[in-house]
Amino acid sequence: MSILVANGLTHWFGSEVALESVDLAIDAGEHMAVLGENGAGKTTLLRILATAARPTSGGLEIMGLDALRERRRLRRRIGYVAHAPGLYPALSAAENLEFFCTLQGVSRTRAAETLALVGLVSEASRPAGLLSRGMQQRLAIGRAILHDPKLLVLDEPDASLGSDAADLLAAVMSDRTVVMATHDHALANRLCQRTLTLRHGRSVGTATRLHVVR
Amino acid sequence: MTNSFAVAVAVARKDLRAEWRTRELVPALAQFVILALVIANFGFQIDSRNAPSIAPGILWLALVFAGLVAFGRAFAAEREQASLEALLMTPASPVAIFAGKAMAATLLLIGCEAVLLPALTLFFGTPLSVEVIAAVLLATIGMAALGCLFAAMVARVRARELLLPLLTLPLWIPFIVAGGQAVQVAMGASGSYDQAMALLVDFDILFVVLTSLAARFVLDD
Repeated sequence: MSILVANGLTHWFGSEVALESVDLAIDAGEHMAVLGENGAGKTTLLRILATAARPTSGGLEIMGLDALRERRRLRRRIGYVAHAPGLYPALSAAENLEFFCTLQGVSRTRAAETLALVGLVSEASRPAGLLSRGMQQRLAIGRAILHDPKLLVLDEPDASLGSDAADLLAAVMSDRTVVMATHDHALANRLCQRTLTLRHGRSVGTATRLHVVR
Repeated sequence: MTNSFAVAVAVARKDLRAEWRTRELVPALAQFVILALVIANFGFQIDSRNAPSIAPGILWLALVFAGLVAFGRAFAAEREQASLEALLMTPASPVAIFAGKAMAATLLLIGCEAVLLPALTLFFGTPLSVEVIAAVLLATIGMAALGCLFAAMVARVRARELLLPLLTLPLWIPFIVAGGQAVQVAMGASGSYDQAMALLVDFDILFVVLTSLAARFVLDD
């Protein structure tokens, strides 16, 4: 059963089309990679799927709800890792997560559990601004799963992560539906059952594992 | 479920904690208001006779420009850190997030006023009374609500430093008029202090309610 259904998603930035008539259906528990060159429309598509942006036209239904009208209800069930980590540099790693626990309405004990999951226990009291870019990315991934979302939208989550990126991502993606943008075809093949390739804002096809459209 | 009060407190505490650790804003604002008073001290021929009529004007000028910086930073910092989107992607009420940001900005400006008011007394010999402090604090509440709303509105545009004063200053005029009158009377000029304070309370209620209603639409794009 599809947990996410998008019909004719189109997005314009002024006179430039960033996304054109993209149709998509993702089943519960499925992991889909979104591939494409820079400027292909991956981030725009992911921002719309995460309810961070509204499409210019088209329909989007997530978990049976109209994603354009029920955004706040859906945000309880969606985790989103954006292109930039978006952390508070003056707060420690633990304080960053505890702050978002309050905003998500979950117990602050989730912060410690999540730090352990993303491998940042030893960095818990360090200011986020002093963490390496890879550690910041881990913290951003941790923030996205604090509230145990059913749908995870990841925009190049492997950026700046070390050699164990695939293991970390596999751990956070397990038992969740995931849409993930990446430039790493090998990672996409390892973690995702299906890929969607975008070119100039248009879908040029989907493929199952090991049959990536290039 | 997210508790709106807990969210507002968490947002305010986060902003105040970040300011305490970085000390970016308050020391700069304190220096700014002292410099403004030094310039005014040399620019005007102030003596004990005209101080009660000139000092309130200098007080409000310094406060208005310090406020523009303090409220502008409230959302500009979130924008620069790319954290505004993460904040708004939570199910927390945008009104609670706005209230938390406004609370923190208000407290930071009060910190700046804690330097400005004694300095005003020191430079111009005007009395530092409970009446003066009450008038300034009442005006700060409404000015913070409006300032933070417009700061949130312009946070996503490029010319925000220019737009924020253009949008905010006209709507701050009622606070400057009523607050100015209250401070002048408290410093010895003739007029009704109670009437000016009642006006400030009315403006506070009006603008806090209006900005809370508008915050939802401004923050939820």
